[in-house]
Amino acid sequence: MIEFIHIYKDYNKVHALKNINIKIASGEFVSLVGPSGAGKSTLIRLLIREEKPISGKIFVAKRNIVRLKSSELPFYRRRIGTIFQDFKLLPQKTIYENVAFALEVCDVPQEEIDIKVKKILKLVSLSEKADVYPNAVSGGEKQRAAIARALVHSPKILIADEPTGNLDPTNAWEIIELLKKINHAGTLVILATHNQAIVDKLRQRVIVLKNGKVASDQRGGKYII
Amino acid sequence: MNFTTISRIIKLGFTNFKRNWGLSLMATLVMTLTLIIISVFVIFNIVVNTTTESIKEKIDLAVYFKLDAEEKDIRVLEEKIKNRLDVRSVHFVTKEEALNRWNEMRISQKIKEQISEDENPLPFSLDIKTHRSEDLESVANYLSGKEFEIIVDRVSYKENKDIIEKMVNITNFSKKIGIILGIIFVVISVLVILNTVKLAIFTRTKEIEIMRLVGASEIFIRVPFVVEALLYALFATIFSLLLIWLGIYFISPMVTQYLGEVQLNMQEFFISNLLWIFLLEFIFSAIISVFCSIISMGKHLKI
Repeated sequence: MIEFIHIYKDYNKVHALKNINIKIASGEFVSLVGPSGAGKSTLIRLLIREEKPISGKIFVAKRNIVRLKSSELPFYRRRIGTIFQDFKLLPQKTIYENVAFALEVCDVPQEEIDIKVKKILKLVSLSEKADVYPNAVSGGEKQRAAIARALVHSPKILIADEPTGNLDPTNAWEIIELLKKINHAGTLVILATHNQAIVDKLRQRVIVLKNGKVASDQRGGKYII
Repeated sequence: MNFTTISRIIKLGFTNFKRNWGLSLMATLVMTLTLIIISVFVIFNIVVNTTTESIKEKIDLAVYFKLDAEEKDIRVLEEKIKNRLDVRSVHFVTKEEALNRWNEMRISQKIKEQISEDENPLPFSLDIKTHRSEDLESVANYLSGKEFEIIVDRVSYKENKDIIEKMVNITNFSKKIGIILGIIFVVISVLVILNTVKLAIFTRTKEIEIMRLVGASEIFIRVPFVVEALLYALFATIFSLLLIWLGIYFISPMVTQYLGEVQLNMQEFFISNLLWIFLLEFIFSAIISVFCSIISMGKHLKI
């Protein structure tokens, strides 16, 4: 499903990623771990095509996304869901409107939006908070709303960049449970984190990045630095 | 792109216009000011031009004859002038008619009473109209020649000529000032709108980032800014037309009084051409603001 081939990335002549080669099959749950500055976020930015590598290829569903034209980017991004540490919700829109917004910008008819948003809010247990604004809900609920927005396009890939970074352990674990549920339903999940407890408990594939290189890649692995 | 998307994009433009009302107001007001300045100079030029034309139209040459000039000599002269190709009409003003004109003049009764039918010092005269106002000079020169020195007292052409020249000068001067001020205000509004859009983009960085993230197309991100720019132009056009109309409403009577016989109904002109004025102003301001908006987006909106 996803393949990084000989990826190199520099920031002001400082190597951020060096010869990254990773292959991820559809339906996998992959934890991407490593200390700050190891290159996790860079790898994610390349995957959502916010940036381009200096060299190398990134195949997503057999397509080299490095060569996508800017007019093709929106269509690519609709096929991947992304969540972040800071949730990235619009404060002036309700939870419902935030989720619906993702469909509104993509030519989806209103009736279809209504059906999909209600369904996805039920999945993340936020139906009751649909008409509440983000600043009136807890951190965990904000992240669930962000997940709902990421999933509303029914993407095959969900990328989570430090999704539990701003949450207490209970809320963090709730989010992880939700990600597991989504993964069980067949979505490939990439979880970038430095929360050791979560990674160890997941017992899934763990890719460790160190100084811009893949330090280890183990199935059922643990957080080892 | 379907109707739903178009309406969503337009709605987003309206929402952003409302949400950044401070910035929107600033851009609209500067644009309004620009439109008013330009319109005022256009109107001023129309008034001066109409007046000049109307005066030119009325201008004729008056030849006043010496009091001892014989009517038959004048009649001979009249025939000669009538035969000139550049002359349109010649009217012989008798002493009686001159008196009537005198009595119709807006001067005090006391002065009027100085002249009566019994004691009429008013001379015979000829009113001469030419086909083109430029021809007046050659006719005047002809009449001032030696040939008619004995009977012709005075040719009143120079005074009118001075007035016309003055008016033409005023028109040219006001046109220049209008163009300079117009350019200055266009530049100011361009700068303000460039900055307004730049600020609007910065205040909406997060929203634009989220839009990109969820796969919004470039059109969906960019076009609302163009819609906003069109709204600045639309409101500026409406505000400026309202203010210009108010201005005309109060100033028009004064201008009419000042111009006297010159017929220029500014209110009527404004109302009957409202649609055209509106379209012209809107298209002009829309071009400026949309142009600025696109420039600003190209510079600051990285998609």
